[in-house]
Amino acid sequence: MQQLNTQHLRDYPKKPKQVYLFGTCIVDSFFPDTGMDAIELLEREGIEVIYPQGQSCCGQPAYNSGYKDEAKAVALSQVKQFPLDIPVVVVSGSCGGMMRHHYLDLLGDDPEINNFCQRVFELTEFLVHVLHLKPVDQGPKEKVALHTSCAARREMGVHLTGNKLISQLANVELVIHDYESECCGFGGTFAVKHADISAAMVADKSKHLVATDAVRYVSADHGCMMNINGALDYQKQSLRGEHIASYLLNRIKGNSSKGSL
Amino acid sequence: MTNTKADIKAVSKTARGNILAKLKAEVSGADYDKLPEEVPFNYPEFSREENLAQFISELEKNHAQVIKTTKANMASVISEQLKALNITKLLYGENDEHSEVIAALDSKIDLQTYDFSIDNNKERLFNECPAALSSSRCSIAATGSIVLWPDENEPRSLSLVPPVHFVIVDANELYADFTSLIKAQQWQDKLPTNVVLVSGPSKTADIQQTLAYGAHGPKALIVLLINI
Amino acid sequence: MKHIIEEESKYAASAKAFRANVARDLGNEELRSNFRGAMDYLMDKRKSAFSSEDELEVLREQCKLIKQRCLAKLPHLLEQLEGNLERNGIKVHWAETITEANEIIAQLIADKKGSSVVKGKSMVSEETALNDYLEERNVECLESDMGEYIVQLAKEHPSHIIMPAIHQNKKQVAKLFADNIEGFEYSTDVDTLIQQGREVLRNKFCQADVGISGVNFAVAETGTLCLVENEGNGRMCTTIPDLHIAITGIEKVVEHLSDVPPLLSLLTRSATGQAISTYFNMISSARKPGEKDGPQEVHLVLLDNGRSQAFADEELKQTLQCIRCGACMNHCPVYTRIGGHAYGTVYPGPIGKMVSPHMLGLEATTNLPTASTLCGACGEVCPVKIPIPKILLRLRQESVKPKSQQPEVMKGQGAGRSSVEALIWKVWAQVHKSPTMYALSMWGLTRFRFLMPKKLGGWTSVRTAPKPAATTLHQRVKAKQEKAKQSQQERG
Ligand code: SF4
Repeated sequence: MQQLNTQHLRDYPKKPKQVYLFGTCIVDSFFPDTGMDAIELLEREGIEVIYPQGQSCCGQPAYNSGYKDEAKAVALSQVKQFPLDIPVVVVSGSCGGMMRHHYLDLLGDDPEINNFCQRVFELTEFLVHVLHLKPVDQGPKEKVALHTSCAARREMGVHLTGNKLISQLANVELVIHDYESECCGFGGTFAVKHADISAAMVADKSKHLVATDAVRYVSADHGCMMNINGALDYQKQSLRGEHIASYLLNRIKGNSSKGSL
Repeated sequence: MTNTKADIKAVSKTARGNILAKLKAEVSGADYDKLPEEVPFNYPEFSREENLAQFISELEKNHAQVIKTTKANMASVISEQLKALNITKLLYGENDEHSEVIAALDSKIDLQTYDFSIDNNKERLFNECPAALSSSRCSIAATGSIVLWPDENEPRSLSLVPPVHFVIVDANELYADFTSLIKAQQWQDKLPTNVVLVSGPSKTADIQQTLAYGAHGPKALIVLLINI
Repeated sequence: MKHIIEEESKYAASAKAFRANVARDLGNEELRSNFRGAMDYLMDKRKSAFSSEDELEVLREQCKLIKQRCLAKLPHLLEQLEGNLERNGIKVHWAETITEANEIIAQLIADKKGSSVVKGKSMVSEETALNDYLEERNVECLESDMGEYIVQLAKEHPSHIIMPAIHQNKKQVAKLFADNIEGFEYSTDVDTLIQQGREVLRNKFCQADVGISGVNFAVAETGTLCLVENEGNGRMCTTIPDLHIAITGIEKVVEHLSDVPPLLSLLTRSATGQAISTYFNMISSARKPGEKDGPQEVHLVLLDNGRSQAFADEELKQTLQCIRCGACMNHCPVYTRIGGHAYGTVYPGPIGKMVSPHMLGLEATTNLPTASTLCGACGEVCPVKIPIPKILLRLRQESVKPKSQQPEVMKGQGAGRSSVEALIWKVWAQVHKSPTMYALSMWGLTRFRFLMPKKLGGWTSVRTAPKPAATTLHQRVKAKQEKAKQSQQERG
């Protein structure tokens, strides 16, 4: 039986002319290609992408560490960066979940905050439910796996939208790995504070991904991928994960993808 | 031990005062009329046949043996079962609700009446009573549960201690689920000392998730289903 | 606010040793595989018990609201329960601390000159470490649930609240029985093992003068103690001995008898995937005149032990909705890896991380709320919809608040606070809320990325270190925009 999780179900707007992109701090400093690819993906659909230069981080690291005031200060500063009444597309399910669901808690349920939260969309959610994207696959035949971050799965339903996008790629076979829904063990500061438990978790996750024989795995969260790719690299495995934005763009353009590390 | 009886009374009294005071401070002024509505799941209505089928299938899934029989045939069914199990004794309650059945049992069966207090008879109950026969009040289809309603005649341990438990279940007393049963019979007004819902023989999966039957209570539950 | 917590429960020390426990148990291959196998089994069982998502969701919402209503009325329901139980001849005792609970029970046993106790499964009596307390007073206290019995023979504690011996496999149990049961015929066949355990325990039931049990639901309206079990040991403990003492937490009371069926249905299905347990035992009175069996005396001990502290906070109060089904631990990727003993607390897994800080204080348990990725698997399966990850977050907040003699919410406030960490987050917030400072720090990060250390604590013990990009997304977007502007100018 599939878990019925209604938290991510919502009414979707019509295709807008403009959107904001929230790149997330990890993408900004470690994986800017992903951000650029997400922008290109949206622009190809005829959407103008506005990237506010004042954006930084959703505040989740402090929030999850119990530093509510610090998280609040950062979260408030972010809300201010996205004043127009247009969608805010986030390149991470986990940060998207933070901004869509936890900001209400953190910043109080006032109209401005509420309006902001309502405008937040995770990238694949936006591609599927707002743009109704039908990617035309130009890439070679291959097998890929999909890893969904836990927050993305439970708060944003990304396992469904990610799955839908990949399934539409004609030449791609999506393989389901064992314990597919299980956490990779990242958890932000958890990976540092409880490094040994995290290590045990990522060992299993990478083992299950490798066992699929997929040429790569795709994910909508760089947090998890930093963790899993780091482990795969350490184990000298050839499998790598690639952000779904880059993967889709490459498939559409017929480029071979490379995986990000 | 240093405490006297008075001590624990005092301890309890102080604790009671403190706990209730703390809890009451938190709920003072609460408006209980404003609590959100609790919506139960609407289960579909089932026919008598469907309910019976569900009842039997759940019981069998749980390793109970269900024998469809009639009041007239029951004695021979029990006699055969006992013979097959190599058991020659049967413990039963003092009531005469099933006296005809008892009277018609195979004469080789050593009949034991539960006409004693447990207090000086534990050894006997545990070691000399291999099988028991009890009645039941009613049963529940959804979960395959039999409602035992022990009383002076059919004590609680009758259905618990002997390793084989025969229970007579009347198909006319089958309810769809626990909720509707409680409601129909207004249980909140008349609970006796003890009520037990039994849904199979005693079991455990405590060793390596492997199911084993007869952990402490009856190893076999034999349901004699009548009035089908 | 007054905080009453034990002088020091024995679990405080073992909870404090969380990190060492984790290191010990992560390295134990046999233990790891026992847990993985058991959790796979239990997750599977639960899954197959719910055929309809609709039913599950409607039931979860209903049961959440039932528990919330009962908690909203808690003090009144406790009084009503007490009134009805006493009317039925069941004596009620109250205890704020585990020591008080143990004293009460020991005295009740002494009054009856009891010397041999059989216990049904009761996690609350584990909480009070009742066995140790009674044994020190020369009262033999035998666990009769098969799992608990195994754990007691092994001189261990339950590693799971529903399946206490889940950390042992049948070979280990066979060895344990061989070492402890006289005349044991060696076998690793589970049926044979259970039958031999049965023989030992039936003898004890027959001889014991006191039975101790837990309670799953205490019904205020009728004064009824409900017990959920499969083995029949619970019925034995509450039927055969002359004295029955039940012990439970104050949160177990429900208002109406009609509250029980939905809760019971979710409890057994969430726990082990059973539509119902083999026995559902409802006790409303001691032996009445004319009845031939049942205990002459029945007592109920109501324990607080930190529960009223959780009750006093609207968010943390939800912890008390728990019906102890164990589903959260069965689905927890951390519990699956480290097992139940590593937590060092009576209640392991997500539920343990939520309740133990109230029982033991945050000083002893500060590592528990952080030992979670907040993946949410627990909250997703919880039958009473406790937002477990949110509560863990809240406990993290309480743990890093400044220390205070007068804690606002809970004992041990600030126990997890380090001034270095607090400073780091302060600086982090300053940087991330100011676009200029953020730009500056990113500039530094990319510019000096060659300085990024190859070793990053625990991270790099199993992973390579990530490397900052040469240019940030901010810079790339800016460059792209400038290029676009330029080509537009050139064209124009
Ligand atoms: S917290 Fe929820 S899932 Fe965990 S034991 Fe309690 S009721 Fe079950």
